[in-house]
Amino acid sequence: MKRRGVSAVLAVWLLTAAMVCPQVRAQGKPAPAPMKLKVGDVAPDFKLQYFDGNDDKNVTLSQYRGKSNVVLAFYIFAFTGG
Amino acid sequence: MKAFQQNLKKLEAADTQVLGVSMDSPYANKAFADQIGVTFPLLSDWGGEVTRQYGVYVDKYKAARRVNFLIGKDGKILEEQIDRDAIDPKKIVDECERKKLNR
Repeated sequence: MKRRGVSAVLAVWLLTAAMVCPQVRAQGKPAPAPMKLKVGDVAPDFKLQYFDGNDDKNVTLSQYRGKSNVVLAFYIFAFTGG
Repeated sequence: MKAFQQNLKKLEAADTQVLGVSMDSPYANKAFADQIGVTFPLLSDWGGEVTRQYGVYVDKYKAARRVNFLIGKDGKILEEQIDRDAIDPKKIVDECERKKLNR
């Protein structure tokens, strides 16, 4: 009788440990979300606007194809650092 | 963005066009560019379509992650800098200059 009680406690403990451990491990290492596009992938073409002070101008990625490299720098919001 | 501005001459000399992208309006971006002295275009992805297409949209912030892509003349991605690493563009500037030397 006593033995069965001990095994029951042990079973509950193991079950709890099995559920909690992966969560604890995940918290310790906040892995950055993986990138959808990887080095070597073709960058998707786009058409976006900017305002040059007088007019709205269109920019496409394809207009630079074969002519120059492009740095595409995504930033979070205007008027923030970086 | 300022860090790219500081390196703009080097990047232009290495045949590299710098484009900033955010989900602000074109006019907010223009005011921002003027304020911090940025002379390259800051593109407006109002609505976030391109930001999502590039997989850098963060639902929690309703905005883009800080990510720099270096795209080659063939349209392929040569380099990526993500989050904290994206603040200093040295890796991209070096890569552009190296490509230029190897040409």
